[in-house]
Amino acid sequence: MIFRQLRYLFRAAGHNLWNFRGRNSFSILIISFSFLVIGMFLALSNNLSYLGEQLSKNLAISFFLDRNLPPEKTEEIKKTIIDSSLIDSVIYVSQEEAQNRFRANFPELKDILDNLKSNPFPPSLEARFKNMAISLTAITAFIDNIKRLPGVLDVQFNQDWVEKMQSLSRLVKAIGFFLGAIFILASFFIISNVVRLNVFARHNEIEIQRLVGATNTFIRIPFLIEGFVIGLVGSLLAIFILFLLTKIFPVYLGGALGAAKQLIALKPLTLEQIIWLIAGGAITGTLGSVTAVSRFLRV
Amino acid sequence: MIELYHIWKQYQKPYWALSDVTLEIDSGEFCFITGPSGSGKTTLLKIIFREILPTEGQILIDRINILKIPDHKIYKLRRLMGIVFQDFRLMFHQPVFSNVAIPLQITGLPDKEIRRRVFNSLRQVNMHHKMWEFPSRLSYGEQQRVAIARAIVNHPKILLADEPTGNLDPELAFEIMTIFKEINDQGATVIIGSHDRELIRHFGHRIFFLQKGKIVGQEMKP
Repeated sequence: MIFRQLRYLFRAAGHNLWNFRGRNSFSILIISFSFLVIGMFLALSNNLSYLGEQLSKNLAISFFLDRNLPPEKTEEIKKTIIDSSLIDSVIYVSQEEAQNRFRANFPELKDILDNLKSNPFPPSLEARFKNMAISLTAITAFIDNIKRLPGVLDVQFNQDWVEKMQSLSRLVKAIGFFLGAIFILASFFIISNVVRLNVFARHNEIEIQRLVGATNTFIRIPFLIEGFVIGLVGSLLAIFILFLLTKIFPVYLGGALGAAKQLIALKPLTLEQIIWLIAGGAITGTLGSVTAVSRFLRV
Repeated sequence: MIELYHIWKQYQKPYWALSDVTLEIDSGEFCFITGPSGSGKTTLLKIIFREILPTEGQILIDRINILKIPDHKIYKLRRLMGIVFQDFRLMFHQPVFSNVAIPLQITGLPDKEIRRRVFNSLRQVNMHHKMWEFPSRLSYGEQQRVAIARAIVNHPKILLADEPTGNLDPELAFEIMTIFKEINDQGATVIIGSHDRELIRHFGHRIFFLQKGKIVGQEMKP
């Protein structure tokens, strides 16, 4: 019996969606626009996070050692570093090599070095990260571990850049959510008003249902289904448009942006993000309906 | 079965639509409420199916005080009843079939059973051939017959009808009354608000006379 009633209610919701297709399409477009804004900012933020990760992978990390450290101790530290799952390769840079590198990179400062009695550069171990996604937290934890080993004096790692990239990514995400929240709120009210109009247009029918013995739930459910479908279709449309944008962007706009291309590129959403956006659309639509129905359907 | 005690209804001060109406209708009765226009017939029927609440008084149906039924449970009372509204209250963007089927669909009956019952009801009012027409394309009298079909489709225990023959020619009005009588013979209580004296004289088992919101008399035919 419940199955039959549900089938009737879904059919009724379908009829309503079709009968009032003009205003329902308008709601779908509004919700789709709102979720497209969130989606675009998420895609931008994904790209910045990705760039940050790439940057951290390409950076070398130098562990400066005590110049009196015996070779076997140096080997031990080297082994500890290479044993980490984050590290791809480690090379030993002797004091002489460090000095030679300095001479090569800064020939104008050669005189200063010549005037020094001893080599000021400590020996170091230079490590490179593996080619995979590594979080900044993991890198920091790894550095802290190595730093604690006896014989390791200091660490040089261009953490600033990675941190900047990651905070920019967080900022973009926050702006996206802020703007998205405003748009979602707007679409919530628009859906609520559209469903309210639908309720009003079907006032006569609702009255009849009520008088022939329909329960409040029976009257309300088709409107809730309508809101759910509007929200769901809206968010699916947003994801589809976003998918097209991520495909079209590099082809048509990427070239014109030059160096900025990499920074403002759209990285496809993750499956988790897509699921959240779809669920968000469906929830916004349903809540918009619930508000309209409970306010205007005092049955 | 239906007991009304000291019912008063006021829409607007200082006029009383109903004044101290007390009446009892037994189960299985076939009765008319009659009186001139504006005498309170529609108000009285609306109070019985609780579309409106009285200003004062109590109504018992099957010993249950219907004024104390919470709003969310009122559907149980309405499912016992079939109602023919004076203004028909049809859904104009849905075909005749859907209009008549609605009291059955809300109870979750199987589609096959709904189709059978709807067809039978429409056949009773001679509208089965227009099952897929939209009410807007029907005449006034045909719309009224659709409203009657909807009221009888769920075999109600109580049938309330407000001027059910108002727009029908005498022959069809007589047929409709015969249908109501058949439903009554099957055990339903039938209450009809009408001022058609000819029909009342012919069918009325019990007649309540309303005037200016007061019961001014009643008549019982053997």
